[in-house]
Amino acid sequence: MRRSLFAGAAMVMLAIAPAAFAHAYLTTSKPSAGTTVRLDTSSIRLSFTEAVQPEFCAVTVVDGMGTHAETGKPEAVPGHDDELTVPVHFQMAGKYIVTWHALSVDTHKTHGTYSFIVGN
Amino acid sequence: MANPVWMVLRGVCRGLHLTGYFCAFGTALFGALFGQPPGLRRMGWGGFGVALLAGAAWFWLQTADFASASSPSAVLAALPLVAGYTRFGWLTLARMGVLLLAMLCAQKRCWKLAAVLSGIGVLGQAWLGHGAAMGGGKGWLLFGCSLAHIGAAAAWLGTLPALALGLRLSQNPRALAENYSRLGLVCVGAILATAFLQYLFLIGRVSAFFTTAYGAAALAKLLMFSVLLALAAHNRNRLTPALPASRAALGRAVAWEIGLGMAVLLAAGVLMQFAPPAMAMASMGS
Repeated sequence: MRRSLFAGAAMVMLAIAPAAFAHAYLTTSKPSAGTTVRLDTSSIRLSFTEAVQPEFCAVTVVDGMGTHAETGKPEAVPGHDDELTVPVHFQMAGKYIVTWHALSVDTHKTHGTYSFIVGN
Repeated sequence: MANPVWMVLRGVCRGLHLTGYFCAFGTALFGALFGQPPGLRRMGWGGFGVALLAGAAWFWLQTADFASASSPSAVLAALPLVAGYTRFGWLTLARMGVLLLAMLCAQKRCWKLAAVLSGIGVLGQAWLGHGAAMGGGKGWLLFGCSLAHIGAAAAWLGTLPALALGLRLSQNPRALAENYSRLGLVCVGAILATAFLQYLFLIGRVSAFFTTAYGAAALAKLLMFSVLLALAAHNRNRLTPALPASRAALGRAVAWEIGLGMAVLLAAGVLMQFAPPAMAMASMGS
């Protein structure tokens, strides 16, 4: 009886176990992938699945001509250790590609890219 | 520094650092709970030395990885940044400072304080794990699991060298072995329960044991731990009741346990370098 109860509990736990995030992956961003933003947008914000170490994170925002739009290093968002903000200055409309490299506080490195559109 | 050889090397250094740290903590805990055979303080300092040297190597390799540095001068330049601005950096330095304090307490025969201080350093390792980085309900649950898992593993595996010393020198080895076996039982129960929860969160499916690097390291750890358990059960059920006649045989069996325990910790160090297979990948940009 006791063995059956244990097996039952184990099955239930297996069934309800949530997927865990480990390593910092991008969950959301502003502007988000594929959206269109105004030319006067002054920063982009990246949210990760884990807390990150800004000193060892890098973000580039590049247009189709290879011109960089980021004007500074990524910084932590006060009160949100899993978010980074990067100052940007867009000189022209078009498609911009964001490439990010993140170091999570559990010592793992991750990276990725996405793009958005800057309108007039 | 992202290639598999460097990852495994970082993992081995981390595992060796844990081995030394556990030994230093275990020595203090043994001194506080079961008495102080001659040579116990020297054993504690030995563990401290291993933790320090392996920790320094781990710190160097981890800094090289963080800064993507390929030359020693680039790593040297990045060391202050890692020490001051990363959780890994300041926590590792703080943990070594706490362990030094603990060993100084042990040197003055303040074994309980030494055990408490080094225990804090042992548990601090959990703050470098996935649970502490995730945050939220799941993160806190995983962090709690890591705390219990690391604490129980350190209390069991870390005290084995001191047990070997105690069994060799004790006037009443049977009483010592019986008392110790109660601690061992509690630790094994906690390790098994928390390992199961970590499996649910970080591995998630049996097939991942055979198809991912994380799973392979976890499987190796599991197999070695199973042998360790069988050996511990043999010691408890066969060799302990036969003491003192079985003193030499029990000493050899505990030596095997120490070797296997070290292998388990090395596997744990390597395991922590890889991405857990149950990790849900990002919805965007990865």
